[in-house]
Amino acid sequence: MLKGLLKTIGKIYFGHKIVLWMILTVLPVGVSVFMLEMFSSEIVQHIPIGIVKQDNSQLADRLERALQSSPVLNVKLICHDMGECEHAVIRGDLQTFIVFPNELERRTLRLEAPVIPVYSSGQNYLTNMFATKEIRAVLTDVGSELFTASFEDPIKTEIHSVGNIEGNYQGFLALGLVSAMFHLAAMLVAVYVGSFPLRDKRVREFYQYAERSWLTLGIASFVPAVIILWLEYMGCYAYTHRMLMPMGFEEFVMVSTAQLLMVICCVGAGMVFVGVTGVMRIATGVSGVIGGPAFAFAGQTFPVMAMPFAVRCFAFVLPLTHVLRVQSMMLLGDVGMLASWEVIKLMAGMALFWTLFGGLTMVLRWQYRLKHDSQMPVVVDEGNPVAVVRSRFKNLLEKIRRRKND
Amino acid sequence: MISRLLKVTLTEWKLFFTDPAAVLLLVVAGVLYAFYYPTAYVNQTVSRVPVAVVDLDHSAKSRELTRMASATQQVEVKAVYNDMLEAETAMAREDIFGFMVIPENMEKDLLNKKPTKINIFTHGAYVMLHGTIGTAFSTCALTVGAVSKVKAIALGKKVPSAKAMAMRDPIPLSIQTMFNNTGSYSNYVVPSVLVVILQQSLIIGICIMGGARGHRRFRRNYRYSEVENESLPYRYLGRSLAYFLHYCGFILFYHCFIYNVFDFPRRGELLPMVVFAVVFLSSVINFGMCLSQVFLHRESSMQLFLNLSIPILFLANFSWPSYLMPNWMVAISYILPSTFAVPAWLSIEQMGGDIYDVAPKLYLLAIQSVVYLVLGMFLTHVRDKTHFNTGDM
Repeated sequence: MLKGLLKTIGKIYFGHKIVLWMILTVLPVGVSVFMLEMFSSEIVQHIPIGIVKQDNSQLADRLERALQSSPVLNVKLICHDMGECEHAVIRGDLQTFIVFPNELERRTLRLEAPVIPVYSSGQNYLTNMFATKEIRAVLTDVGSELFTASFEDPIKTEIHSVGNIEGNYQGFLALGLVSAMFHLAAMLVAVYVGSFPLRDKRVREFYQYAERSWLTLGIASFVPAVIILWLEYMGCYAYTHRMLMPMGFEEFVMVSTAQLLMVICCVGAGMVFVGVTGVMRIATGVSGVIGGPAFAFAGQTFPVMAMPFAVRCFAFVLPLTHVLRVQSMMLLGDVGMLASWEVIKLMAGMALFWTLFGGLTMVLRWQYRLKHDSQMPVVVDEGNPVAVVRSRFKNLLEKIRRRKND
Repeated sequence: MISRLLKVTLTEWKLFFTDPAAVLLLVVAGVLYAFYYPTAYVNQTVSRVPVAVVDLDHSAKSRELTRMASATQQVEVKAVYNDMLEAETAMAREDIFGFMVIPENMEKDLLNKKPTKINIFTHGAYVMLHGTIGTAFSTCALTVGAVSKVKAIALGKKVPSAKAMAMRDPIPLSIQTMFNNTGSYSNYVVPSVLVVILQQSLIIGICIMGGARGHRRFRRNYRYSEVENESLPYRYLGRSLAYFLHYCGFILFYHCFIYNVFDFPRRGELLPMVVFAVVFLSSVINFGMCLSQVFLHRESSMQLFLNLSIPILFLANFSWPSYLMPNWMVAISYILPSTFAVPAWLSIEQMGGDIYDVAPKLYLLAIQSVVYLVLGMFLTHVRDKTHFNTGDM
């Protein structure tokens, strides 16, 4: 059996075209590294802003200098009027602009508290949030030094982001995106491995290689893919994690277990898609529809609790949602262990279900195709000969001939 | 001349409507995704986020602060704990997503004019919740602090409370949101995604049809077809016209129906919308026609572009600014129509930009379109001369 298993693995993974290795290794790893490079600057900086200076006073100059010295902001444009800045926002050249109103200094000194309007685009959620927060901090700081520098604020607040001390959300977003990539890749690879024998009409050939055992054929088809994807996923995750705080051993074990279970779930789901549809392009399309936007439903960008009930149910079915929960729980250190263990148990159940269901549908599909193919005349393409069938057939003929001669 | 072109167009249309894989991508995907994607964000904003307060002070002031936090719209105080470990455990279970720690002797320190610090802890994995919880808690805490500071200024400087208030904050800010007033997450993310959906489904669809043409069985079945033997420019432009008209329908469908159903702002004027549709679709179609000459199997384009959909979305400059990306990545992004189309679409539809505002991006799309047209015709010519071994006879 082991010999048959190894032969089948060799035939599927090494006697095949480049597409399998592209979708199994090059694309998931390449895209993950690409995404990490995209976020290599880690935090949002140099957000382009504009200033409309209706007041050319010393206070306005002081405020402008304070804004210019902030590393988060980049005063890109001093506009003559509001229209100029507004069009720059529409063009995407600016994210926000500030108006220093007429008589700003005079009214400030007379304690009339002139309001400084800050116009934010609102269209770019993250950048606008950082920009307005920084503008508020800078201008409030200058304002508090004008009259009451000797009066300290009685209450100060400090916001801590647990497990993400530097506020590097892009780092955590990259972790989520890497998981989303492998979530999709596992489905696509399973669909490809499960369906190319159907597409190329080679079920009989692989079945012969697997010594007429569906179990051997199933293991040879899908287990290497699971192992390769899992190892790649762990590698990419560890590489991404260097952007955040170091990972402890227990965290590594918990997260990698969750990752393995996610890969198994997705491969099982891919098997189900092939088993049910039986056509590579339809099964690939289904994987794309489910796996493609999975990240949007998994709760890292927009919380699951704020989604409608039906979407929450869909999010619950996605393995990605659970693996992201384990990853985020691990940010909290030891207190997250117990809660993440519960999630891992749930994922183990999901992995078992998808594997059994996928195995059943795949075997039925292969059996159907074997029966169907055996009723069809064998067409041997001279340009692309089916080596196994011919050689076995030849061997058989030679055996018969030899016996006759003997 | 026009009848020859329209004949190719109609034949292509008929061909992709009779191909289940092409229907799935060119018809079903565009409609399905338009409903499927925004549904997750139908509530638009996050409110009543479950949080907790760790009260180590147990004073009237700390209870006042807790009440103020409970009254805000953004958060809902689910529990008041006596120590931080309880709150951390609740956060690990995701029962709460943040908590505020009111320090011991806060009230006493305030009365003694000693500064005190309130720590706010949020779950590091959720950027949206971090902002919401942080803003809600710090507004409450600073309001309590502001009252004490105003009293201190009034007494110290011997001024009336109105003046003391002005001295505390002499230049108040008023933050106005120009285009997404409700701070809706769906208004931010979905319009950009819709453009990328149009691009991806169109490219994959064209490649599926092109992949079929690289199949020997297709060539055998259609070898006497008048349309498949039409001269190259008619064949190329006629097929492109079929996709163009089909996807114009999608842009109208999104503008008139999807934007209405999900209540997205529709500020687009007719002229920029029409020009956008022409240059964007021609750029994507020509890009797709180039790529369709490369793939031999119909599924290969799906496998490639599904894997690339996340980076393509992020390269479109709507979420992560391009000036923070490495230069080589920005250079790669210039290959994709979505890099210019997403900002142009947002400017037109979300912000009501006129033709002059979006002209620089539309020019770039037009240049892309011309380059891909020339390349696409050349590659089609090369493929016409190629002998294939792919697929059954």
